[in-house]
Amino acid sequence: MALVNLNDVLSFTGNEEDSAFDDAKSSCMNFETSLNFKLPTFSIQNLSDVSDIATAPVDFLKQQMSNENNSRIAIKKGTTTLAFVFQGGVIIAVDSRATGGAYIADGGVKKVIEINPYLLGTMAGGAADCMYWERELGRRCRLYEFREKERITVSAASKLLCNIVYGYKGMGLSMGTMVTGWDKTGPGLYYVDSDGQRLKSDLFSVGSGSTYAYGVLDSLYDYNMSVEDAIELGTRAIYHAGHRDAYSGNTVNVYHMKKTGWEFIYNKDINELHYKYAAEAKPSTLS
Amino acid sequence: MFLTRSEYDRGVNTFSPEGRLFQVEYALEAIKLGSTTVGIQSSHGVVLAVEKRVTSTLMEASSVEKLVQIDKHLGCAMSGLVADARTMIDHARIEAQNHWFTYDENVKVESVTQSICELALRFGESADGGEAKMSRPFGIALLIAGVDENGPQLYVFSETYNLNRFFYHKVSCRSVSIEGFFLGTYTQYDAKAIGSGSEGAQTELQEQYHKSLTLKEAQSLALKVLKQVMEEKLNVSNVQVATVTVQDGFRILNEAELAETVNSLA
Amino acid sequence: MPYDPHPNHEGFLNSVGSPIQHRFNPHTDNGGTTLAIAGKDFCLVAGDTRQSEGYSINTRYAPKVHELSNGSVLATSGMYADSVNLVLNIETRLEWYKHKHNKTMSATASAQMLMTVLYQKRFFPYYVFNILGGVDEKGEGCVFSYDPVGCYRRETYQAHGSSAALIQPFLDNQCGAKHQNIKEELLTLDQAMKITKDAFASATERDIYTGDYLEIFVIKKSGVTKHKFDLKKD
Repeated sequence: MALVNLNDVLSFTGNEEDSAFDDAKSSCMNFETSLNFKLPTFSIQNLSDVSDIATAPVDFLKQQMSNENNSRIAIKKGTTTLAFVFQGGVIIAVDSRATGGAYIADGGVKKVIEINPYLLGTMAGGAADCMYWERELGRRCRLYEFREKERITVSAASKLLCNIVYGYKGMGLSMGTMVTGWDKTGPGLYYVDSDGQRLKSDLFSVGSGSTYAYGVLDSLYDYNMSVEDAIELGTRAIYHAGHRDAYSGNTVNVYHMKKTGWEFIYNKDINELHYKYAAEAKPSTLS
Repeated sequence: MFLTRSEYDRGVNTFSPEGRLFQVEYALEAIKLGSTTVGIQSSHGVVLAVEKRVTSTLMEASSVEKLVQIDKHLGCAMSGLVADARTMIDHARIEAQNHWFTYDENVKVESVTQSICELALRFGESADGGEAKMSRPFGIALLIAGVDENGPQLYVFSETYNLNRFFYHKVSCRSVSIEGFFLGTYTQYDAKAIGSGSEGAQTELQEQYHKSLTLKEAQSLALKVLKQVMEEKLNVSNVQVATVTVQDGFRILNEAELAETVNSLA
Repeated sequence: MPYDPHPNHEGFLNSVGSPIQHRFNPHTDNGGTTLAIAGKDFCLVAGDTRQSEGYSINTRYAPKVHELSNGSVLATSGMYADSVNLVLNIETRLEWYKHKHNKTMSATASAQMLMTVLYQKRFFPYYVFNILGGVDEKGEGCVFSYDPVGCYRRETYQAHGSSAALIQPFLDNQCGAKHQNIKEELLTLDQAMKITKDAFASATERDIYTGDYLEIFVIKKSGVTKHKFDLKKD
């Protein structure tokens, strides 16, 4: 079953996808099969022929991915990501651990997705969902640039992503992402998730370790802090989450969003940070 | 002339007894009315130069857009019914982005040209399994310039050019006479002119072009050729030049750069 | 009454017929292990050939490492039927690409394509854990590792399948120089072969789903060579 059949679900996402789809469809009219090579299409299990099993695709997928299923599809999950706006732009810091159940599937995941030189997305929830849809966002932003002859705003980009995933609401997508960038209005930071929620704020943290990160961020965040302090704050918050949350850890990746676009700051090992911070003098807030 | 044709030029899907599609030939006439556009390929990059017909002093010259970007490494110049080109260019942009999406690489110049040709065939009544994009043939010719793993390349797209892939130094490009209706095909060129002044311009290109042109020389040559066929006096506001190079991709020359080249002609 | 491996302990009523839920369960894990290591100018992709279901071995020789027509090698573990289908799907696309663009698809392009192929079945996934090995445009070995719905990353070494949790830590130590006071360096082909054979021989000792034969593909710019070794067959 291809995307055509999903069109009633997707129609409100606007004309662009439709026109893009028509274009793809028309450019390969001579070969029916070649349509599949043009655009992402989705196959959905058709269960109507198995009449005694009243299972909708959503339930089906839930079951396939549930912990009870012994041949379950363990999708990489678990994360701590954060981003905050300050006087010098936006700092984005993330950990790098991917877990499938209790197994650390990968310790070096890039959870910051470089959409284009002025836009970054973070990855929390289903890794493939974030990776795929933020790539699709990159494609649409590029087309936007050509058509409108200016860069897309962070607000518009995040809304695009939000509308895409809202079209799949209830079908099992899992995505909690922060879209950050710098546009004609200045720095931008939006939170978008697979429920279709889109929020604007100066400070977000997403993922299983976000509560730990918020603790650090809320106590030390200051809009007027220097760039160095902001980078250090992001690193520290991820370190604490990596230390306390078993599903987060390995390394910290930090990015800085500036007027000239994003810059990758560094990648640091959380284990090494642990001993570095342990050697430091403790703050005297309680004395 | 039109009397004899009138029986068979009412529809885009009716051949004349001599095997001609008159509506398609008329589309070619529309291209011939277009402003002159020149493309030159050198080993360092491709140059595209267009004449902007600034018909009134009240007209904002910068709003005339005949050079457009398709992707970082791809651009095109148009001549004919510019409105028709919009559909094609948007199609090419989507094709380029879809290719990047699926394969994480730049689309080849030839592939994107091919996809434009596929679109150009989609006029008339819809056939099985497809929907028509246009009720009539596209009245547009495009010079498609780009760089990919095969180096800088220049393609000409037009409704009715012969399918044979030939280079201008092998075959006289003045023979744009229609030998057969391979609708919506493309041809690769070292240097090519399209539009109203194309015949004179192509002769000039034929004489002046050589393989070892530098990018700068190609820019000068393109403008020199335009200058000869333009009715108005060539200046910075009635022409536009773009280059496609490995380093910078597609780039439209700014006014200072254009002025430098224009002044070097005198 | 037939043996029920997952009895419902909620109440005695069960024995006189409380509702039993049936489910459409199309995915099976056919076991087996795959591995890939990237070197400076080569890539090694390996997999065992045992195929099992539950406690029984279906066959001792069902290759799960597939040489693709563009010179890359795809190692698949998880459900065998899905992987056969996936390889067919990819081969078709490779062929189409060749006709359309007049060139063979590069390893990096096929890596991106595999992601979209997997994600297109996001709502009824291929139950396959893939590793794609090849040589990139620069002639360097490349390994791409995937989850079933297409999340992927370029790695220098990766193990997937039933013995992944046994082999991956070993590779972290031997290929990634983790917890060794040495600098991480790319392995030579000789080293990679030795490590691969040791990894599979050891995994066969402890994992019931791994064994029978080991197939190793070595990909270089000049082409692909295939080696076959015996593993324990008990």
